[in-house]
Amino acid sequence: MVTFGPLVAEQFNATRLHSGEVVSSGFEPLDRLLPAGGVRRGSLLEWLGDGEASGAMAAACAVACRLSGGMDGGGATAAPTVIVVDRQGRFYPPAVMGWLANVASNGGKEPQLVVARASSAADEAWAIDQSLRCRGVAAVLACPQSIQPTTMQRWQLAARGSQAVGLFVRPQEAGGQRSSRRQPTWAEARIAVSPLPGESLAVRRLRLTLVGGPWAGEASVEGRAVEIGIDLSRGCGLSRGGQAHGYEAGGIRMFRPPAMQPMEAVACRAS
Amino acid sequence: MPRIMTIWLPRWPVQRRLLEKPRLRRVPVFVCRRERRGVMTVVAWAWAAPPRGSQEGGPGQKRSNPVVKIPEGMSLAEGMAVLAQAHGSRACHIAEVDHDDPQADRMALEELARYCRRFAPIVALEDAARPECLHVDVSGTAGFFGGEGPLVRTAVWTLASRGIHARAAIADTPAAAWAAAHHTDLLHRATDLLHRAPALLQRAPARPAGRSPLPRHWRWAVVAKGESFEALAGLPAAALRLGDDVLAQLRDVGIDSIGGLVRLPRKSLTSRFDPQLSLRIAQLTGERAEPLAPPRSDELPTASHAFDTPILLRDTTADDLVALVERLVGECVAPLAGRGRGVLALQVRLERSQGADPRAACMPTVNVAPLVIDVGLFQPSTNVKHLADLVRLRMERMRMPSEIEGIAVDVVAIGETACRQQTLFESLPGAAAASGSVHGVGMLFDRLSGRLGRGAVFAPQLVADAQPEHAWAPTAPAARPAERPAARRAAPQMAAPKPPGRVASERRPLWMLPRPLVVEAVSVAPDGPPVRFRHGSETHEIEKAHGPERIETAWWRGPTVRRDYYVVETKTGARYWLFRRLRGGEWFLHGLFG
Repeated sequence: MVTFGPLVAEQFNATRLHSGEVVSSGFEPLDRLLPAGGVRRGSLLEWLGDGEASGAMAAACAVACRLSGGMDGGGATAAPTVIVVDRQGRFYPPAVMGWLANVASNGGKEPQLVVARASSAADEAWAIDQSLRCRGVAAVLACPQSIQPTTMQRWQLAARGSQAVGLFVRPQEAGGQRSSRRQPTWAEARIAVSPLPGESLAVRRLRLTLVGGPWAGEASVEGRAVEIGIDLSRGCGLSRGGQAHGYEAGGIRMFRPPAMQPMEAVACRAS
Repeated sequence: MPRIMTIWLPRWPVQRRLLEKPRLRRVPVFVCRRERRGVMTVVAWAWAAPPRGSQEGGPGQKRSNPVVKIPEGMSLAEGMAVLAQAHGSRACHIAEVDHDDPQADRMALEELARYCRRFAPIVALEDAARPECLHVDVSGTAGFFGGEGPLVRTAVWTLASRGIHARAAIADTPAAAWAAAHHTDLLHRATDLLHRAPALLQRAPARPAGRSPLPRHWRWAVVAKGESFEALAGLPAAALRLGDDVLAQLRDVGIDSIGGLVRLPRKSLTSRFDPQLSLRIAQLTGERAEPLAPPRSDELPTASHAFDTPILLRDTTADDLVALVERLVGECVAPLAGRGRGVLALQVRLERSQGADPRAACMPTVNVAPLVIDVGLFQPSTNVKHLADLVRLRMERMRMPSEIEGIAVDVVAIGETACRQQTLFESLPGAAAASGSVHGVGMLFDRLSGRLGRGAVFAPQLVADAQPEHAWAPTAPAARPAERPAARRAAPQMAAPKPPGRVASERRPLWMLPRPLVVEAVSVAPDGPPVRFRHGSETHEIEKAHGPERIETAWWRGPTVRRDYYVVETKTGARYWLFRRLRGGEWFLHGLFG
């Protein structure tokens, strides 16, 4: 365990945390799990999947659709854009396009899904960086196998400027590498995703565990876990959601960002 | 003696539509004109990627596709009947019918002519009501490409890389090049017969009646200098661009080839036939000049810079080079911006000198073709810095020459720019800021495609196709989805686009493997769902299986696909997409619900 002083911690948090608009992720349990009470625009979220078929990508896609639905994206002239940086060439758009149409049916503009296929890790990092810098992009989805801290800091600064949200799906255990959990992150939250047996074909149940990211006053990060259910037919949370809090604006539930508590220290695990 | 390269773009009206909407490659496309009584007649038609096989083909028996002859002027109903006879009634159901738009065809061809300036500076459209050919004056420029043969081959393949089917030929006159380009196959066949006549005549079977592709090198031809008559003598008389009435007259007297026509006394031709015939023969021989039609009056801007001496790029930083490009681009953009136009496509040519290797300076000089950098944009732009950045991105991915003699920038295509009122506070929400974000998204697409490649950035679009691999098609993204680049010039639509079938999202995985992976699976019932399968080194016990979803394609899709798909959930909750091939019963992993 490495402990930093208060000044370092303050600077560290000042670069990572900023007061962007906080939007509901569409899953109330997930909102409770996230440090800002929702997804903060202009931030990064990491999803660590327990295996390739864990459902981490489904959760990230559902959040991306939700974010694009609540975005103005260009007033009366244009729809927001969701960009998928697909290095492996395995992303299958028909699985998500119904979800985007569902966003439109709820009163918003149908977001535009754009896929960028990168042929190398350098191209992938560059494409993510460029996409995160662009205003009008609601969310950037990518599955980088490994992320250098400096690269991620650049992405974080890029996202802050454009208010785009970066959603990165990564394996928990990359082959031959140290666990993704142990690597430093500049994401607002790092969430481990484990699949749970579902009730039906259209419902995907996932267990989300907060395993990293800046949060105030937490000595231990383990053990904060919630369960969510994704309605795969519509790409959103199950309708029997829990207690309503926050306020409605523009068809989406808004949350005020919680007051930032000055941190005494930030704990990071050193490998 | 001048040398002319003619590039023929068969069925250009259809090709233009295929370039704008690549998804149309998989369906028959008819371009039709409405006649006075409301009858639709076919102007051009094509099926770029027809299904393989035919109705009569048995299992394991691959037959070539039948030839479908739908000439220009045939009524649409008749054309559909011919198509249905050859490919079945489903071909008619999926056919796309569009109105004829000659003006748009001409504009697209002019755009392509500017693109073809990479081969020679003088490029013109053929002098015809509905041009389908480009004439390129390649006198003295063939050496840059290593000769006329490599040049004509490069031209065909360069266009093919853009998805354009072309045939090309080089000859002494535009008329001769036109005739040769339209009959490159006959020229090659005649050459083959000449060189290998005895053996070929005995062994070579007649070309099957079905549709089999020509050898690739038969798409281009070079007619040697001064040998136009000899080379073209075997071509049909129609290769002289004669009218139907003149051709009918010639048929009446038993003349059907250029050779037979030339043997007639020239003086008698004028009195016996239409004056057009004498004119065409004179154009073929070069006695009557056929000036290349000049480009349109509103010539697109160009700018160039020639160095006093060739500069070595190793002594020059990329920033210096890009700064020069930026200055040239600025010169091109300035007159356009004043007219409310922006750049849609740009061509940067780095004129290379022959001394690529300093050690070979004493060697004989060899001409080298210029290095061409093509930059395409998704929306018109007048932002000089953005355009220069796109050029820089392309330069970073290219192997640059060691030294250059000059740089030339050509604007290839332009479009109307969306003007917006500047605001005092850009951060204020509103239409201006929104317009800025739209502009930013368009620039993002330009940058991404500039580095990753034009085909690597796309907006998927659903296609009504049962087979999962073909259930979507990539289309060009647009900063404003409502205004796709393909629809820049609104063309009247005859039929509303068919709504593509949307499959329930829960039945489709987010990750699809490029090729289905064979897995070992165990099912209890003979045709039942799997209870266990092995993927890699892991064995997965299946808790639930949803299915089967039978997907079956018919004969018109070529090799038949018959699969039973299952969405399976393991005991840990992981979901996979498996299918069993009905023929053989093997199990495959096709996707993961990531």
